[in-house]
Amino acid sequence: MKKTVLFICTVFLASGLVSCIDEEEYADSPRGNFEALWRIIDEHYCFFDYKHETYGLDWDEVYERYSRQVNDGMTEEQMFEVLGNMLGELRDGHVNMYAPFDLSRYWSWHEDFPANFSDTLQRRYLDTDYMIASGLKYRKLDDNIGYIYCGTFNTSFGDGNLDEVMLALATCNGLILDVRDNGGGQLTAASKLAARFTNKDILVGYMRHKTGRGRSDFSGMEEQRLKPSVGIRWQKKVVVLTNRSVYSATNEFVKYMKCCPGVTVVGDRTGGGAGMPFSSEMPNGWSVRFSACPMYDREGQCTEFGIEPDHAVGITDEDFRRGRDTIIEFARTLLNS
Amino acid sequence: MKIFRTALCMALLTVSVAAGGQTDSTEYMRGYAAGRAAAMLEGKQESPSPQKIITNARMLGVGGVNILDTYISPEKYRGTELRYISHTTRMREWGTRVSRQIVHQGYVSHTENRSGDGDEIAGMYCFSYGAHYNMALCGGSLTVKVGGTLDADIGFLYNTRNSNNPAQARLSLAVSPSAIAEWRFRAWKRPFTLRYEVGAPLVGVMFSPNYGQSYYEIFSRGDYDHNVVPTTIASTPSLRQMLTLDFTLHRTTLRVGWIGDWQQAEVNNLKYHSYSNMFVVGIVRSFKTTRVSP
Repeated sequence: MKKTVLFICTVFLASGLVSCIDEEEYADSPRGNFEALWRIIDEHYCFFDYKHETYGLDWDEVYERYSRQVNDGMTEEQMFEVLGNMLGELRDGHVNMYAPFDLSRYWSWHEDFPANFSDTLQRRYLDTDYMIASGLKYRKLDDNIGYIYCGTFNTSFGDGNLDEVMLALATCNGLILDVRDNGGGQLTAASKLAARFTNKDILVGYMRHKTGRGRSDFSGMEEQRLKPSVGIRWQKKVVVLTNRSVYSATNEFVKYMKCCPGVTVVGDRTGGGAGMPFSSEMPNGWSVRFSACPMYDREGQCTEFGIEPDHAVGITDEDFRRGRDTIIEFARTLLNS
Repeated sequence: MKIFRTALCMALLTVSVAAGGQTDSTEYMRGYAAGRAAAMLEGKQESPSPQKIITNARMLGVGGVNILDTYISPEKYRGTELRYISHTTRMREWGTRVSRQIVHQGYVSHTENRSGDGDEIAGMYCFSYGAHYNMALCGGSLTVKVGGTLDADIGFLYNTRNSNNPAQARLSLAVSPSAIAEWRFRAWKRPFTLRYEVGAPLVGVMFSPNYGQSYYEIFSRGDYDHNVVPTTIASTPSLRQMLTLDFTLHRTTLRVGWIGDWQQAEVNNLKYHSYSNMFVVGIVRSFKTTRVSP
């Protein structure tokens, strides 16, 4: 009995002696917020190695350069500008800082390129009597080509919606799946739609995550597999339309579709965004978003900076003046040939 | 579990009625300790079928909580916690020195970060089943119990503004050595019981995502990565303490006191702590069960 009492006393003593599990809290000052933000990114961001190889990103050098610009006499707006510029060094559309008065962002991946999408032109193709199933706009074009516009993956459509759309367009000779200007949403919605275009379980890419604070601490590559839908599946030719504003979950969708049979991607390079974003926060309460879980194509290549189309096509000025969407017309030609 | 608790309450009520009513826990403890001490000293049995004494305390607690979960935020969240505790001890009147203990705890908390811009909501249910060896000291006025409990916790922590890491699931199982000291005394011609209980997890298992792993990978893709983590006192140095005073008011025994529930974990390079300190108040009831042969 004495041994038992002694053992239990030792356990409680050990409990008391083990130090508290705690995390350093930085001061709510410009310097403290700078240090906290740099560290959040340093410990959690997932593309340091890739971006060092691609354009020479050196996060330690970024610290040195921006640390000199921070002083505790700064206003909130000045601090926001400096910290926002620092985050811009990551060249990542998934990296944002949310202040009550502004949103820091890096949108060059689409702002520096032609839009290659016009809702004015799209209206000429959709007309006014098109159908909408849980956000998916669709109709048969004059040459018996099916057209579906998916503008977001934030609205999760159900299998019933997809069955109805597939049935309605079943007699078409081919299908145009337009995801231009779709900035992403839920990965589950993207894979649900892509699952209508494969009859086999196929490898579509890889995903991994960080396992520690080190910049190269990652898990092994886990396969991303696309399983065929149990609902109605499309068996004819498909053309997926893309532009630079295709990002995040939609970038993943294009990656999945490129692995499906009978699929051709037409348009501009996608915007990328291959890191699933996580959130954190700074001492002053500003929220931060950053890429945390990197995703790769089936060759193991990072798609952070986008996916090349099979046919690079842009909307020409002449076609725009004539009310023609060059990319849709190219897709129709492909499907009718 | 609700059904189980309802069934337990019904059973307690039934045995109470069958036994002809309830006894005051303080009075019980005084009589129980004296009777048992005498029985032990004389080495004889008082009756061929010892009755089972069930002491149940139902308490409500309110207090402050400090939460850190680095999967969600490096910032600590502070706020208020509301807790319900059902604490039951079962023991035979004589013939054994081992008592059994069942504790149900349910709590919710609302916390904010230091800037006041972020909110977190937490909820947890904790079940504990334990056994203790009882030692009567100081002529029966002091009882020291040593033993262990099996603790099962399930709950969540939700941050209202995060994107793909808005919540954290809590699921753990642990074996915890525990000790209890009960001192029965009289003051102002009234009986009191001062009670202190402490427990610390020694070994167990808990669920945790990996450092930067999303719940999408775990639950939508089935990509597991050290998500069931063996724990020891080194990785989960935690302590649950309760200091209470039982006293009688008219024919009711009330319990007031303090609970310090300090839970910590550092697994998969993620840090977690939840420090709760709260005032509790409740009612203590004791029942005797009697076997009735048809």
